[in-house]
Amino acid sequence: MARLRPLEHTLNTRLGEVPYSKKLSSILVDIPLILSLIVTLVFGLFILYSASGQSDLMITRQGIYVIFGIIFMISIAQFQAKTYQDMATHLIWVAISLLVIVLIIPAEGYTTNRWIDLGFISFQPSEIVRLILPLSIASFLTRKRTRLLLKDWLIVILAIFVCSFLVIKQPDLGTSIIIITAGFLPVFLAGFPLFYLFSFFLIFFLMSPFLWGALKEYQKQRIITLFNPDADPLGAGWNISQSKTAIGSGGISGKGYLEGTQSQLDFIPESHSDFIFAVLGEEFGFIGILFLIILYAFIFYRCLKIALNSKSEFGRVLVGSLTFIFIIYVFINILMVVGIIPVVGVPLPLISQGGTAMLIHLLSFGFILSIKRSNYDIN
Amino acid sequence: MDVISNFDQKKKNISLYKRRVILLIIPFLVMFLVFFLQILNLSVFNNSIYETASENNRIINIPIYSTRGLIRDENENLIVENIVHQKLIIVPEKTIDLATSLLELQDLLSISDKDILFFRRSLSKRTYKYEPITLVRNLSTEQIAKYSINKERWPSVRIEANLVRQALDGPLYSHIIGYMGQVDTDNISDSGDFKYKLDALIGKAGIEKFYENILRGSVGYKTVEADVHGVLVRQLSKVDPLKAPDLFLSIDKDLQSIARESMIGKSGAVIAMDPKSGFIKALVSFPDYDPVTFNQGQQESLKAIMKNKNSPLFNRAVSGKYPPASTIKPFLGLLGLNKSLIDWETSVEDNGIFQVKEDGRVFKGWKEGGHGEVNLTKAIIESSDVYFYNLALKLKINEISDFLKSIGFNSITGIDLDNEQTGTVPDQNWKLGQTGSSWYVGDTVNIGIGQGYLTATPIQLVVAASALANKGKAYKPKLVKRIGSNQVKKELLYTIETSKENWTKMEDALISVISSWNGTAHNIYELDSNRIAGKTGTAQTSSLQEEEEYSVIRAESSRRDHALFIGYGPIPDPSLAILVIVEYGESGSAVAAPIAKKLFDSYFTKKL
Repeated sequence: MARLRPLEHTLNTRLGEVPYSKKLSSILVDIPLILSLIVTLVFGLFILYSASGQSDLMITRQGIYVIFGIIFMISIAQFQAKTYQDMATHLIWVAISLLVIVLIIPAEGYTTNRWIDLGFISFQPSEIVRLILPLSIASFLTRKRTRLLLKDWLIVILAIFVCSFLVIKQPDLGTSIIIITAGFLPVFLAGFPLFYLFSFFLIFFLMSPFLWGALKEYQKQRIITLFNPDADPLGAGWNISQSKTAIGSGGISGKGYLEGTQSQLDFIPESHSDFIFAVLGEEFGFIGILFLIILYAFIFYRCLKIALNSKSEFGRVLVGSLTFIFIIYVFINILMVVGIIPVVGVPLPLISQGGTAMLIHLLSFGFILSIKRSNYDIN
Repeated sequence: MDVISNFDQKKKNISLYKRRVILLIIPFLVMFLVFFLQILNLSVFNNSIYETASENNRIINIPIYSTRGLIRDENENLIVENIVHQKLIIVPEKTIDLATSLLELQDLLSISDKDILFFRRSLSKRTYKYEPITLVRNLSTEQIAKYSINKERWPSVRIEANLVRQALDGPLYSHIIGYMGQVDTDNISDSGDFKYKLDALIGKAGIEKFYENILRGSVGYKTVEADVHGVLVRQLSKVDPLKAPDLFLSIDKDLQSIARESMIGKSGAVIAMDPKSGFIKALVSFPDYDPVTFNQGQQESLKAIMKNKNSPLFNRAVSGKYPPASTIKPFLGLLGLNKSLIDWETSVEDNGIFQVKEDGRVFKGWKEGGHGEVNLTKAIIESSDVYFYNLALKLKINEISDFLKSIGFNSITGIDLDNEQTGTVPDQNWKLGQTGSSWYVGDTVNIGIGQGYLTATPIQLVVAASALANKGKAYKPKLVKRIGSNQVKKELLYTIETSKENWTKMEDALISVISSWNGTAHNIYELDSNRIAGKTGTAQTSSLQEEEEYSVIRAESSRRDHALFIGYGPIPDPSLAILVIVEYGESGSAVAAPIAKKLFDSYFTKKL
C-alpha cells in the first residue's frame, strides 16, 4: 500500500471520479441561481443598449463590470464561511472610514459627495457599505453562542446610525434608507426582541417631523411630488409622469425592441439608470415586465432556500439579509418607477447602468453561494 | 447536557429565524400586489390613455400657412402684395432663463412693453410645443444689426422672414381694401380646419376683412417627430396648404384716382358703378388713410389716424347715413305715376310755400317765390319742393316706405365690404318705436323731398341711380370681379316696374336737369355732349330756427348742407352710374355735380 500514487492519480480520485456536472456544480455551487443571474444580466445588457441610445461604449463598460462581477462572485463562492466569519466584524471600521473619506475628499465633477476617485477607478463607498454592514453585523451578533445582551444590540444600532448619518450627509436619501435597511435586516433576523423594535418605530414616528426638517429641499420636493405628480407635469412630477406614460404606452406586448418612443426620444429621464424599468415596460410591455419579475422571484426563491437550509446562525442571518436587501432594491426601484413611492436614486439591481452597484450585487451573491458551500463542507 | 442545550438553542434559533423571514415576506407580498395592480392599471386598463400621451409627447403638428392672396385690379395690376419683413422670434422651451433673456433683449432692442405683453399672453395660447413666439414684428435695420452682433447670447432667439401686406398705391384704395390687424385669438373662432398663428394678422376692414376666409388660404400640416429637447428627429407626413387665390377688383384705377383727387380737402364719398353688372368702378370715402400704417404697425401714424376728428377710418360710402334729399324725387315721381295719383301733365302751383291743412305747419321750397306752375318734368328739372310735398301727401307714408324698401333702402345692398349700414326708411311704427311719438302729416311731407327721418347710404343711392340707368333693373354692387380664375357673376338686386313711356319721360327730365337752361345741374352742361342724366340734391343738416336767417347756418361749416348728385351716362346706353356726396358741401349742383362730370368725362374719353 506504500505505493506512491502519482499526483495525477490523486487529482483524478479527488475530481475525476465525480462526473463532470458534479465538478461544475461544485465550483458554481448553485447552478439554477447562477443561470438565472446570467439570464437577468444578459437581458439587462439588452435593455441598457436600448436605454443608452444604443451606446456601444456604455454596453462595453457595463459588460466588463458584469464579467468581473461574475468572476468575483464565483471566486467568493469558493470560500467557506469560517474563513471570513470572525474577521468580518471588523469590516465596520472600513465602512466608516470610507464614508468619512468620501465626505472629506469627494471626487470632483459630481454635484454630490458620493464618489471616491482612486485615479483609475471611481466608486461609491455607500454601495460597499451596504454589503459590509450585514457581513459585519451578522458576524458580530452570531459570534457568541449565548443569548445576546441589550448592550450588543445597542452597539450594532449605533453603528448603523453612524453609517446612515454619514450617507445622508453626502447627501443621498435613497441610499441611506438602503443602509438603514441593510443594517437592520441582520438585527431583525438575528432575533432582535420585537418589544425593542416596536419601541424604536414609535420613537422614529415621533421624531419624523424633526427628520422632515432635516431633509434637503429637493428631497422634500420629491416626497411631495409623489402624492400629486400631475400638479406640475413639467416640473418635479415630470419624471414620474414620463415613466408612467412609457410603461402605460407599452401595453401588453410592448412597442418592440429599440422602438420605444419615450425611451429613444429621451422622454424618460435617467433612462439608463434609475428609470431603466420604464424602458423595459415600454419596449417589452407587460410581458417583458412579467419576465423580469419571474427572474427576480426565482433568484429570491433560490437565495431564500439557501438561507433556510443554512446550518450556521451566521449563514442564515447573512444570506437572509443579503437576499432581502436585493429584493428591497428591486421593490424600491420598481415602485418608484411606476409612481407608488417617491423618486429616490435607487438603481434596478443587475439591470441599471452602474459599475459599483453591479459588482456589489454580484459579490453579495458570491457570499450567498459561499454559505451554501459551507453547508456541504460541514456535511 | 451542554450539547443538548446547545441543540435546543439552535432549534429555537431556527424557528425564530423562520418566523422572522415570514414576517419580512408579508410586506413584500403586499407591495408586490400593489405593484402588480399598478402595472395592470398602466399597461392594460389605461393603455390607450398612455399611448395617446406618449404620441402627444413625440408628435408635433406644425401648421403650414399659405401666403395671403394678392389683390389686383381688373388688368391684373397689383394693388396689395406681400413683402418680406424680419421678425424676432423666441422658443420659450429652449430658453434657459426666460425672464432674464427677455429683459436683456428688451434693453438691447428697445422692445415696447406692448410687445412684451403680447409675448406673455401668447405663452399660454400656443397650439403646439416649441411653437416660437414673436417678440418684435417688424425689425428695423438698427435692431437687426444690434441683434446680430449679440445673437450668441440667446441661442433660442432668431430672426425669421415675415410677410407683410403692402398697399402699393398708399391711401388710394384704402376704404376698398381695408387693413390688417393683430388677430384676437380670444374672439376669433377658428373654423375646424383653420387655426391662426399667434402673431397672425387678420383683415380688419374692407376687402381684407370681407374676403379673409379666401385670402388666408388653407392650412397645411407638417407632422414631425421630435425628441424631449424639441430637436426634430424626422418628418412623418406633410400636407401642403392650398394656395390662396388672388382677388381681382373691378375698380378702374384712373377713375378711382380722379375721384380721390377731387375729394381732397373735402369729406364725403364718391362711388362709380357699372349699371349693367353692378361692378364698382370707383369707390372713395374721404378722408382716408394709408393701409400700410396698420399693416406694418407704424405707431406714430396710427395715433394720428385715431386722433383725427374727421374719422378717416369711417367708410362713408357704405356706412355713412345721409338724407338723400332731392335725389329721391325721381323715384317718388315714378311711384306716383305707378299709383296713378299723378300723370305727366298733373300740375301744381308752386309759390315757394306749402302749408299742411291738418296742423297749419308751413314748409318752404328751396327757391324763394317758387317755380310757378310745375308738372312732374319741370319738378324734376328745377327740383320743385312744393310739387313733391303735395305728392308725398297724396302717396301716404306707408306707400312711400313700402316702395323705398322695395328698392333697396332700409336694407344693405350686400356689397363685398364690411360694416355696411341700412339707413332708415321711417313709418309710423318706426317713429313710435324710436321717439315714442306718433306720426305727423308733416313727417310725410318732409320725406317727399328726401329729408326728415329718411336716410340712405351712398351705396344705396348709386344702386338706385343704376336702376334709373337700366330703366328698372338694379344689380348688387360688387368690388371683386374674379376670385382666382372664377368670374364673379352679376346678381339682380331689385327691379323698378313702370311703363316704357314713364321711363322715357323720366330720362328726358333727368337729361334736362343738366341740358336745360333751368336745370339744377346746368352748370356742368357742355354743348356738344348731351349724354348725362342726373339729379342733384342738397341735404339740410339742421333746420332753420325761428327768426334765423339761412346765412347764419351757412357761416357755420358743421351746419352747412350736404351736397349730393346721382347720375348716369352715356345716353342711350349707360355704362356708368355715379354718386357724389360732399359733406357740408352746400350745393349739389355747384359742388357735387362737377365731380361727377369729371368722372364721366374721363371714363367716356377712355372708352372712345
